[in-house]
Amino acid sequence: MGLIDRARIYSPWVYHFHCGGCNGCDIETLAALAPRFDAERFGIQLVASPRHADILITTGCVPKQFIPMIKRVYKQTPDPKVVVAIGGCACGGSLFYDEDPENYAILGSPDLLIPVDVYVPGCAPKPEQIINGIVQGILKLNEKATRGKK
Amino acid sequence: MADLAFTIISIALIIPISLFLGVIYAFLLRKFNARFQWRVGPVVRMYSDLAPVIGSTRVWQPMYDILKLFGKDTLIPASAHKRLFTWSPYFSLFFSFAAVLFIPFPGMPLLSDAPYSLIVASYLLIASILFTILGPVASGSPWGAIGARREVELFLVAELGFVASLFLVAFMKGSLVIAELSGTVGSIPMVLVTLLAGITMFAAMLGKLHIKPFDMPEAECEIVAGPYTEYSGKLLGTYFLAKIFVLYNMVALFIAVFLPPVSSSVLWLPLYVVAALVLVFLLAVVQVLNPRYAIRKALTWYLKIVVPLVILGFIAAFALRMVA
Repeated sequence: MGLIDRARIYSPWVYHFHCGGCNGCDIETLAALAPRFDAERFGIQLVASPRHADILITTGCVPKQFIPMIKRVYKQTPDPKVVVAIGGCACGGSLFYDEDPENYAILGSPDLLIPVDVYVPGCAPKPEQIINGIVQGILKLNEKATRGKK
Repeated sequence: MADLAFTIISIALIIPISLFLGVIYAFLLRKFNARFQWRVGPVVRMYSDLAPVIGSTRVWQPMYDILKLFGKDTLIPASAHKRLFTWSPYFSLFFSFAAVLFIPFPGMPLLSDAPYSLIVASYLLIASILFTILGPVASGSPWGAIGARREVELFLVAELGFVASLFLVAFMKGSLVIAELSGTVGSIPMVLVTLLAGITMFAAMLGKLHIKPFDMPEAECEIVAGPYTEYSGKLLGTYFLAKIFVLYNMVALFIAVFLPPVSSSVLWLPLYVVAALVLVFLLAVVQVLNPRYAIRKALTWYLKIVVPLVILGFIAAFALRMVA
């Protein structure tokens, strides 16, 4: 494994993208990155701009008004990148899932708009599960980077 | 001829040394911060079951961050002035690295004995910061522009403290050569004035290195990532590399000018290491103890505290020179 590939695994920067929801998953996501679990031990850092991120963490269902924003944030994240969907809403729509009649305000889970690589189900998932999701994301990130080189 | 060969070898050696020390200082800042917040921070020795997968240590975490960025795509916003946006990080890195050559390291005077080396080193460090303002302004992003504006405002007062404290010592000792400043201790009153200048320099360092309470240009909760908002990939990595060199430069310059003769002899290497560790520790202490100031409060603080101290120092230095 090359030095840059190794650095990619050692330094995953996370951008937390709240699509819309009850904030339960956001509280747990921040708890996963806060001092008790201290993800910085392993180089995981929360960044403020999607341009700096390797991993996009999405929480909540996507409201229809939010569609351009989520697409834009995804485009603004430089490759290689991985999307981790946190919580039931982000994984499949949860209680907002409504096929017929169509919900007038909520589109559904973010994977209808952007490719999601890791799903962390739960309402809300525990911080341990979220950290595990990020770790799965790191492994996928490395896979993607290697595939990109080939 | 031998002198020239020694200088060339020293210059070749200082590149890895400055990078190594800069990374260690950045790691220590993060580690001290974490420990003060009851966190572990980047681990020195990885847990044995995780070590085969995620490496045995995180001492090199700042370097991993930079290397990772060099392996990512670089996005340039459509609204950016492309040439200035792209070249600014490289110029910032160039100037911060060039400054390394004018600041002595134990056993290696480098170019610090060149005429006016103090002026050259301070100009190079100022130029490096200047390009962290120009690049974001060229990005066309409102967050970048707000960050750059805050950087300019902080720049005006922090650089004033930086230049004034350096030239206070230079005026008192009557030299603009860093090697001469770092080689002379002087009388007890001169030591006291140097101490005063050291305090104002420390305050200027907080502004230059964006350490709380003066981290408002990069205030993440308010203005995304400030000047670096639109930067990504290699360009962001280059800026972070420049920051590593600026951190090394500031610590080395502080030791050279304000703690003589720590950096002038190879025998003082252990003392140099201790001085650098204490300085980084103090920076971390200030960082964790303070909230972020509003930009106006920061300007007022510099003008009310640092500037009067520097003026007092100049009066004392003038009196000392008159007596001498």
